[in-house]
Amino acid sequence: MSITESDVKERPACTTTSLSNYRWSDPPDENKWADCVHCGMCLESCPTYELTGQEQHSPRGRVHLIKSVAEGKLQVNEQFMDPVFACLDCRACTTACPADVDVGGLIEEARGQIRQAMPLTGYKKAVSKLFLESLFPHQQRMNALGRLLKFYQKSGMQKVVRKSGLLKVMPDHLADMERILPDIKEPVRKKYKGEKVINAKGETKHEVALLTGCVMDVMFSDINEATINVLTRNGNDVVIPETQTCCGALHVHAGEREMGRNLAKQNIEAFKDAEKIIVNAAGCGCMMKEYAELFREEPEWQAKAQDFSAKVEDISKYLHDTGYEKPQAEMKTRITYHDACHLAHGQGVREEPRNLLLDIPGVKMVHMPDAERCCGSAGIYNLTNPEMAGEVLKSKMKNVPEEVEMISMGNPGCMLQMAMGVQKYGRNQKVVHTVQLLDWAYQKEDELRGERDGIKRSQNK
Amino acid sequence: MALKEVKTNDKHIRNLANIVGGARSILYHKEDLLAYDCDGFTIHKHLPKAVVFPKDTQEVSKLVKYCSDNHLPFLARGAGTGLSGGAIPVNGEVIISLVRMKRLLHVDFENRRAMVEPGFVNLKLTNSISDKGYYYAPDPSSQYCCTIGGNVAENAGGAHCLKYGVTTNHILGLEVVLPNGKIIEIGKNGIPDSPGYDLLGLITGSEGTLGIVTKITVRILKNPEAKQTVLAYFDNVSDGSRAVSDIISAGIVPAALEMMDKTAIEAVEAAAFPVGHPRDIEALLLIEVDGISAGINEQISQILHVCENRNVREVKVAKDESERARWWANRKTGFGAMGAISPDYLVQDGVIPRSRLPEVLSRINKISEESGLRIANIFHAGDGNLHPLVLFDARIPGQTEKALAAGSACLQVCADVGGTITGEHGVGIEKREEMRFVFTDEEIKAQTDIREVFNPDNLLNAGKLFPSPGRCAEIKKEMKEAAL
Repeated sequence: MSITESDVKERPACTTTSLSNYRWSDPPDENKWADCVHCGMCLESCPTYELTGQEQHSPRGRVHLIKSVAEGKLQVNEQFMDPVFACLDCRACTTACPADVDVGGLIEEARGQIRQAMPLTGYKKAVSKLFLESLFPHQQRMNALGRLLKFYQKSGMQKVVRKSGLLKVMPDHLADMERILPDIKEPVRKKYKGEKVINAKGETKHEVALLTGCVMDVMFSDINEATINVLTRNGNDVVIPETQTCCGALHVHAGEREMGRNLAKQNIEAFKDAEKIIVNAAGCGCMMKEYAELFREEPEWQAKAQDFSAKVEDISKYLHDTGYEKPQAEMKTRITYHDACHLAHGQGVREEPRNLLLDIPGVKMVHMPDAERCCGSAGIYNLTNPEMAGEVLKSKMKNVPEEVEMISMGNPGCMLQMAMGVQKYGRNQKVVHTVQLLDWAYQKEDELRGERDGIKRSQNK
Repeated sequence: MALKEVKTNDKHIRNLANIVGGARSILYHKEDLLAYDCDGFTIHKHLPKAVVFPKDTQEVSKLVKYCSDNHLPFLARGAGTGLSGGAIPVNGEVIISLVRMKRLLHVDFENRRAMVEPGFVNLKLTNSISDKGYYYAPDPSSQYCCTIGGNVAENAGGAHCLKYGVTTNHILGLEVVLPNGKIIEIGKNGIPDSPGYDLLGLITGSEGTLGIVTKITVRILKNPEAKQTVLAYFDNVSDGSRAVSDIISAGIVPAALEMMDKTAIEAVEAAAFPVGHPRDIEALLLIEVDGISAGINEQISQILHVCENRNVREVKVAKDESERARWWANRKTGFGAMGAISPDYLVQDGVIPRSRLPEVLSRINKISEESGLRIANIFHAGDGNLHPLVLFDARIPGQTEKALAAGSACLQVCADVGGTITGEHGVGIEKREEMRFVFTDEEIKAQTDIREVFNPDNLLNAGKLFPSPGRCAEIKKEMKEAAL
């Protein structure tokens, strides 16, 4: 049997039907996929396409599938879920796309439909419930977790566990994570509780509100502390609104849009008096700039969300725009910079943090190839899709230059993941947040000045 | 993502999966296959039977042999960025995806050649050798993601082909799996001009109908010593197109000479890589000259002079590499940018003698008016390779057919003025019927006879490149009449 040309049927051109299989509210937005002409310019930007070579795991493939459900060609089922949830939500495709297709928005909307069609079960449900519902939105519980981790570290239990081989019975990716637990310090929300304003050092030029974040304040309160130091040093009064909560990014990435909406509303209220909202976690900043997206069916909240989002700014961009004092002390270190996806692709902030680092005397910047490539952290992706996240991390670590002492970035999720990479691949870089370096430089400058003044005083005597 | 078993009653799927090593290397669920129902040409869609991901030539050969022995239609696919539908499985083919065969096998700087696997992305070759001062010349606009295997199939061109030639001018050797599964090597050792028939020339541009290329030896070039880029804005299209002819007549061979019209400018400025072109100009030219440093400035001043003679509104030379890169990103993402102003587009690929540019552009304009569809023009003006982009909305009944008819009419104009129907995108399924504009039945038969030799059962990528005998021409005619 051979095929002749006359066997080739002329297929009717593609047509759309109204038989959408999205049966819940807040479905993927037709206008978003209408921009996609299937050109394929996104393919190489996508880490999951790079690893699998499969187009259902590529941005345009995912958009095509999401559109196909609306056209009634596909059901919202397990097979559809796989490509939609395997997306890292890294937004590299939105940078690559010539037509500015909002792939990230479509993915999140599709996930919302999937979660409503097929609620989670088993291990994934447990992880999701524990983190998203029971932990992140609750400051008290996050603090309690922090105390527990601190106890775990300080009591010597961490050493015992590490020695005993207990880690070997944990799933590999969780054991990897345990190894890189940062030292737990006091959360800034607790430290500054009751203080209405943390005053600027010297003359007040601006007043800003700080999002302390859920994970950030427990795992990385020293970064929050550094952020406050840097802000006050540069003439900013800092307010930490009491009623603020988790930004909801992880919930929205996971398709739990209703939870995301509730958190968004709480934050919109909490920050309603702020003129500027400073964020030091790229993932949170990106989410908060996109709150309006959650309220497509609630115009009143959508308008509030737009006003809110206009005030949100990443710390590095804020410092860049409003000016900052250039540190005087020399930091003599070689560093490289990793672009957090939600900073570079999500907020278009690329040069500002680099310039900030380069303004520190003695800092030598070594270029990281593919610096804008996702590290695999992607919210809690490394917990839910450990295999893919591990592969993505592996290719990221290959690009970390050997000769650097530090890797700087602007997102806590990336910091944990990169620290895991450093540990796993036997590297020795310190993983730092951009504002930490600036803060250290200021501190060093103050110390030196203190010493100088001390010497002067003793000379004067 | 987890490793799954292949669970199906279809024995062919199970057997194909065994050849490529299991579930990770085969797709057969409808949900996954849908991502493969078209390529960069989205007007026709058809589901494949399966998609398989071989890792080496041996696996490709086994897959091909299996398909051939079992009379399963099959085709090869790279990144699927082709614009004429060459990788669309119109017969429910088994798609042999070559994207996992993406290694750079060997670079021989001394003899200026490199060997790659077919899934290796075009731009990655240049990126891999640029630190040594070399590059790979053919630069289709999709070079960020298209594969060299696909470039060979389509004999892809690009902005810089005016001076450097298209893909076929850069291919030194190929390893090919024939439709019966046998493996042959042509252009042995990458020495050009082997005795015997020019099989390299035949395979390159055969649109995946003669065999599946599994290794490619390409020519690499030393980076030009100097490079300058000019951007010129014109208040009318004919001044712009006359400037094109004048530049070539002045004896300059630019590395690239690109043109965009007003509608195209509207799209790129509304999209992701705007450079701030004025919106009220009718045409812009992007001109690049390269070569040894001596003489570059002279060429640039000649070009500026020509533009001024043709009433240019504004003309400027790129200040630095970053400005040059921005201009090119704006141009090279032009097709995708259409998404910003239209839900769908169809791009044509006619070639005409340069001197006929003003006339052809005004006739295309007329087609646009008659069909009621906007047509944007982004094209390689220097070699007369037009890309009219017909903008339409597939959701509106009848628009797709209208767009197809308008595209076809554009090609008729190209053929009428002594040109041809495709410069670099290939015929695929899109321009099968239009082959009749430029070839007689005998000429087409001479070509299908050659295909018979390689692909006697026509299992490999059937229904591409050549018109269907008789019947389809009538359907096309009816369609055109219905639309206009």
